[in-house]
Amino acid sequence: MSEAQNTILDIRNLDISFKTNAGVIHAIRGANIDLCKGETIAVVGESGSGKSVTMKAVMGLLDSNATVNSGEIIYNYVDASGKKQSVDLLKMPKKQLRQQINGQRIAMVFQDPMTSLDPTMTIGKQIMEGMFLHKNMSKEAARARAIELLELVGIPEAEKRFKNYPHQLSGGMRQRVVIAIALSADPDILICDEPTTALDVTIQARILELIMDIQKKMGLSVIYITHDLGVVAKVADYVLVMYAGKVVEIGNVNDIFYDPRHPYTWGLLSAMPDLDTDDDRLYSIPGSPPNLLHEPKGDAFAARNPFAMVIDEKAEPPMFEISRTHRAATWLLHPDAPKIEMPPELKARIKRAQKEAEKYL
Amino acid sequence: MNQQPLLSVENLKQYFPVSRRFTVKAVNGVSFNIFPGETYGLVGESGSGKTTIGRSVIRLYDPTEGRILFNGKDITGRLDADTRGMLRKDMQMIFQDPMASLNPRKKVEDIIGEGLDIHKRYTSRLDRAEQVGEMLKKVGLSPEHAARYPHQFSGGQRQRVGIARALIMQPKLIIADECISALDVSIQAQVVNLMKDIQEETGCAYLFIAHDLSMVKYISDRIGVLHLGYMVEAGTKEEIFSNPIHPYTKSLLSAIPHPNPEVEKRRKSVSYDYASSGINYAEGTEHSVGGTHTVLGTDAEVEKWRTQ
Repeated sequence: MSEAQNTILDIRNLDISFKTNAGVIHAIRGANIDLCKGETIAVVGESGSGKSVTMKAVMGLLDSNATVNSGEIIYNYVDASGKKQSVDLLKMPKKQLRQQINGQRIAMVFQDPMTSLDPTMTIGKQIMEGMFLHKNMSKEAARARAIELLELVGIPEAEKRFKNYPHQLSGGMRQRVVIAIALSADPDILICDEPTTALDVTIQARILELIMDIQKKMGLSVIYITHDLGVVAKVADYVLVMYAGKVVEIGNVNDIFYDPRHPYTWGLLSAMPDLDTDDDRLYSIPGSPPNLLHEPKGDAFAARNPFAMVIDEKAEPPMFEISRTHRAATWLLHPDAPKIEMPPELKARIKRAQKEAEKYL
Repeated sequence: MNQQPLLSVENLKQYFPVSRRFTVKAVNGVSFNIFPGETYGLVGESGSGKTTIGRSVIRLYDPTEGRILFNGKDITGRLDADTRGMLRKDMQMIFQDPMASLNPRKKVEDIIGEGLDIHKRYTSRLDRAEQVGEMLKKVGLSPEHAARYPHQFSGGQRQRVGIARALIMQPKLIIADECISALDVSIQAQVVNLMKDIQEETGCAYLFIAHDLSMVKYISDRIGVLHLGYMVEAGTKEEIFSNPIHPYTKSLLSAIPHPNPEVEKRRKSVSYDYASSGINYAEGTEHSVGGTHTVLGTDAEVEKWRTQ
């Protein structure tokens, strides 16, 4: 997110709506995201905030009732002959996208490993499928590479497992296979859509550590979509907080966790149960996310925001720059706004977190 | 705590015969007590038997062995009409997926009022409507919602309907099986707070089943950690969190991600593998390690873990 020449994926002013029986749902209302080579970004938000739709747009997987109203998704890459290429994924014909980009350059790991694997095919076959399609590999070479990948994702006795069917593996093992499939064509970008939500906590930690390891080895850029801030703290370099189809706060991981500015981010952080205190009540953000069937007037978060001002109901806040890396869209950052601090409980918690962090420095 | 326990589970075993040669031993001799008005948390990974225990307790399964006392009455084996009536009224369940557990063809008032209908606990239609309205208010919905169908609600609201359905029978014990796992973070907090408020008001006890230790810590008074059908560690939440002894509990605790990037980036989680650890749960016995804190293991193992 720093130097322009390193940007590998650049989403500009993306605006998507869905036609449904009930009316037009304006799901993405001008999202800006950019990703640099080798970086990890995490997109955080509640369900319905548009985080998955944005990533589906990148993969060209939007449902047929979706319309892209405006915006572009620029993907920069180096092609086989070593020339720098720059394409707009939204303008690319679907067929070309499937043949040249999906799976080969941008791969995706889905939430539920049982529904994303084919139950009638051995896992070895499923891993090799992408290699035949994209790389024109011979059967022997593909097999060797598939076993290598299975070993890379930490599956013991890879040769034996190669012939297993998905139902013969546990949930954690299945997700490892899905990761191996995603890596089979050496992609530049890996998109992980809630990769650990369906898994147990102990397995979650191992899968995350595995993805981080592989990322270092292969120089991947990774995009996480998640609502678990604990996961974000572990893996991300940059964090984007989305709300009602917009990015409301963006910053590096320390900005977001130690100096959050948007009231929605405050709410998300406060709602996490804290292991160090014995508070009786958990903070919860009042109300529920807005229904985007009816376009919210002004700031979409105003109705749930205890710090909302009159202007929040009239006009949408622009992005205010806090530091070079950190921006947030809330009127509280306007120079004329009253000075409002984050809730004292959250402040105390961040202080404690920082103290704990000092021990590691 | 010298009162009579509300629920006491003694050496519960639940086996499922798959074929003549193979039996799944889902629960292997688990014992615990729940006292009136407290919350007992059961944690463990998938396949540890936590859901099975909840279902055996409410008699969705017939326990293979062991005794379950509820309200001083044995509820294993064949039930007489009185005991069954008491069990069905005083013990209620909240399920994991609020969409799958509500009948899509029934209005919310009929979903919530079904228990009233079965047990004939109202005098007139008006009385029934009043009771349902009252309950909706209690869980943070409004009485006008009674005429709607489940699909007209959001996930958090649906779970509130599930809670209202359990509460209307004024139960003494509610079994909450992963009741917040399917909800968003901010909605989870709302539901957990609601459950705490209701407990304060009505004094009901909860058996809270979850795999998310941080939420369990928030709501529970005492916690039992399950692994492969054995209760490997049990105690008050302070005992478990400040002084975990069993390696499985330690690995569970270390797997909780902290919202603290500087710490989280440097921390590696402790992994635990039963097969290679050399521990055999079947050989272990329950050891008390101070207070109500118990650990499952052989003498030598427990000694070793305590000094680590």
